[in-house]
Amino acid sequence: MHEYSIASEIVSNVLDAVEKNSAKKVLSVRLEIGELALLNVEQVVHWVQALFKGTMAEGAEVKVKTIKAIVQCQSCGYKGRNIPDSRDIDQHYAAFICPKCGSPEVKIEKGRECMLRKIQAVR
Amino acid sequence: MKIIKPKGPEIFDIELEKDLLAKNRVLAKGNRRKLDQSKIIAIDIMGSIGSGKTSLIKALLRKLNMGEAIGVIAGDLTTTIDAERIEEEGARVIQVNTGKECHLDANLIHRAINGMKLDGVKILLIENVGNLICPGEFPLGAHKRVVVTSVTEGPYMIVKHPYIFREADVIVLNKIDLAKAMKVNPSQLEKDARKINPRAPFIKANALKGTGISKVIEALGLE
Ligand SMILES: Nc1nc2c(ncn2[C@@H]2O[C@H](COP(=O)(O)OP(=O)(O)OP(=O)(O)O)[C@@H](O)[C@H]2O)c(=O)[nH]1
Ligand SMILES: [Mg+2]
Ligand SMILES: [Zn+2]
Repeated sequence: MHEYSIASEIVSNVLDAVEKNSAKKVLSVRLEIGELALLNVEQVVHWVQALFKGTMAEGAEVKVKTIKAIVQCQSCGYKGRNIPDSRDIDQHYAAFICPKCGSPEVKIEKGRECMLRKIQAVR
Repeated sequence: MKIIKPKGPEIFDIELEKDLLAKNRVLAKGNRRKLDQSKIIAIDIMGSIGSGKTSLIKALLRKLNMGEAIGVIAGDLTTTIDAERIEEEGARVIQVNTGKECHLDANLIHRAINGMKLDGVKILLIENVGNLICPGEFPLGAHKRVVVTSVTEGPYMIVKHPYIFREADVIVLNKIDLAKAMKVNPSQLEKDARKINPRAPFIKANALKGTGISKVIEALGLE
């Protein structure tokens, strides 16, 4: 539900970076969003595009790469992807319990990120 | 003859590694430093809409009975209703309106603690915006985080929102007086919570009557 605030953060970072690199126009931006991040990717893209309007990034393509979740169990050392592929309501809940030993001491190594990785621009 | 050709547009890539939640985390650390310097213990009270966050704060204020030594930051989208309800208990209250944001963030808290008279304040209670999703992602710099949920939200709140319950230092299951009428089994909710967060005390409360409030105070180390 915080897609709007994340999108504003993305847009201000993009405009900052292109200004520093004296670019004239932004062609595309690339984001990485983890599958366990609490973000609706379509809404993030929608807001970024909306906020780009009237700036030198207007019309830029917004590409999103999904980062697969990797968890590591602190009790038994299990490491791997730990979410059922279904869209169950308890999908995320299950991600916090080790599939091997049932321990909740699971560290999420990957899958929660929301990153701005690349901007393609014209000088 | 020398021809000067127009220089074509140069396309280039800017590579970044910009974590978009990092800025909030840095600001939260700054808040924590400022609170520590002022010897204030801050508690972030998160939870669902209408679960009883304001009622819990009022109950804590009554029980602790410390007057203006407790400050409260009341987060809300646009109204001052909760701030006024809290003021009745004699605490120092500041209202923070988030507008369209569904959560408080470290920057809003930074502004609130800088705009508030903190001398003499020992405890700062922060009511976050009612929401079980976003506030968990935006630490404020508080020392402890409470998540309030209530039986009237049905039996699946913890399974549906594991992130925020995992972040909790204390979990309060409120409106315990209504469990039977709602056909909700509090022990099952407790089991769901224990499974993902065995560390956080799980306290059954009735914020209107004051049931469970001393346990919350004890769990937060506020005595
Ligand atoms: N029966 C019962 N009602 C309660 C209890 N705690 C709170 N309520 C009622 O629940 C309603 C909502 O309580 P609030 O304290 O305003 O809840 P909140 O979480 O602050 O609500 P928002 O800030 O609007 O998200 C009010 O009508 C309270 O009187 C309780 O333990 N038992
Ligand atoms: Mg309230
Ligand atoms: Zn394990």
